[in-house]
Amino acid sequence: MSTTITKPDQVLDLKGLLCPMPIVRLSIAVKKAGVGAVLEGIATDPGVMADVPAWARQSGNELVSIKQQGKEYHFLVKKTK
Amino acid sequence: MDNAVTTALAVLEKQLNRPLAAALEVCARCGICAESCHYYVADPKLDHVPAQRAEQLRQVYRRQHDFIGKFFPTWVNAEDLDENKLERLAEIAFSECTLCRRCTFNCPMGVDTPLMMRVIRAMATAAGKAPEILVMLADSAIEKGKDPDMFRAMFKEQIAQMEQELRELTGNPEATIPVEKEGARVLYVALAGAHTILPPAIIFNAVKEDWTLSLYEAANYGVFLGDTARAKAIAGRIIEEAKRLKVEEVVVAECGHACASLVWDAPNWFSETFPFKTRSIVELFAEYIEQGRLHLDPTANPEPITYHDSCNLARTSGIYREPRVILNAVAQNFVEMTPHGLENYCCGGGGGLVALPEYDEKRLRAGKPKADQIKKTGARTVAAACENCRLQLGDLNQYYELSVKVTALADLIVKAMRLPEKIAMSVAAE
Repeated sequence: MSTTITKPDQVLDLKGLLCPMPIVRLSIAVKKAGVGAVLEGIATDPGVMADVPAWARQSGNELVSIKQQGKEYHFLVKKTK
Repeated sequence: MDNAVTTALAVLEKQLNRPLAAALEVCARCGICAESCHYYVADPKLDHVPAQRAEQLRQVYRRQHDFIGKFFPTWVNAEDLDENKLERLAEIAFSECTLCRRCTFNCPMGVDTPLMMRVIRAMATAAGKAPEILVMLADSAIEKGKDPDMFRAMFKEQIAQMEQELRELTGNPEATIPVEKEGARVLYVALAGAHTILPPAIIFNAVKEDWTLSLYEAANYGVFLGDTARAKAIAGRIIEEAKRLKVEEVVVAECGHACASLVWDAPNWFSETFPFKTRSIVELFAEYIEQGRLHLDPTANPEPITYHDSCNLARTSGIYREPRVILNAVAQNFVEMTPHGLENYCCGGGGGLVALPEYDEKRLRAGKPKADQIKKTGARTVAAACENCRLQLGDLNQYYELSVKVTALADLIVKAMRLPEKIAMSVAAE
């Protein structure tokens, strides 16, 4: 995981959504975004901590960072293809 | 013939066993299935009759297997499969049938229309015509199974935080959420998120169950794709974990398709009798109550509460008595829907539909019979032992302005345990 990119092109408010909806919303948003776009997701479902890395590996996109901040989970993903 | 069509036809041939052939051949076209389908009840038109949906696959089958259909297709309404037809079949199977099996239960011949819809789903998946979201969800779950070290440390850290919350909620400094505990009696497979971990953890600790939490989530999107290879890979993660930890039983979260697939499908996929029992957590909760291991106060849930039977739990798994054991113990005013149990209407969110935003409008319209059922009960709370159902019921609540609260059975049990009062009483006694 690189940590050089921090400014997102789009922020996804995924708070209050339960599995699998955070990943569904993320996947749709990434599909619509251009290659190279960085998306930030903010979720409250702790399931994203395992699901987002798995989604990134499976889809071939880059997980730039993922971390817990209090009751929220913040992640940055970069569309690579 | 293009590749997608050839691939789809190959899947049809591969899956053409006697039960499927019987389903494709024995329809008497009586139309009784129409009224059994929530799509038809919501919007009575020919395309919403289960037999009419099945007819779309039967046309293809007759072209391939019926003697007259092979040589004089128009005489028997047989049709070649082409790309347009395949796409229409996929649309029907993924968005106009939730695999609820109510039509099968009401068919005088027992025709298994959902079996045909599953085969279409398998054909579409192999041909690259399945909804991308379902494929992505299934493949992400498989990816997790390939490398659990990718998330193990983060998962355990989250569970440690949840354990603190559990101790505060219960007032029990020794309450635990064990993960990967070898030799535990119960391996509990939750869904992603705290809401299916914390309430069962409170209950497990209250009855002093010897349990451990699975690393994996119970949901199996391979099932919705009709793709046995993917479904098997997803279930295989849990089966391997259960064997490794040498547990006595695997208990599945309040989730209909996850329970049905692990209890009923997995032994066939793996051609194996597992060295552990598998069942729904609903059955275990009911057992605790019947054994008198939980002290519950139904006045903690005084409002009228109704219960929505998940199709996979009631019709597929026969679990309709146990939820009522729970509800009668935790609620003061439990009200049944009409019909309920085996005859309950699907909420409209099954078959993976709640995860497919492109079909939101269809899904919400098909949920009208369920919304009407809920309204008629006068209930203020709707309990459901399935995550997909709860997501759909939450959406129906907004769409049809039902003004109800949607909840899991575990939440009602925890409420009836009156934890804060117990803590207050124990503090006062000291």
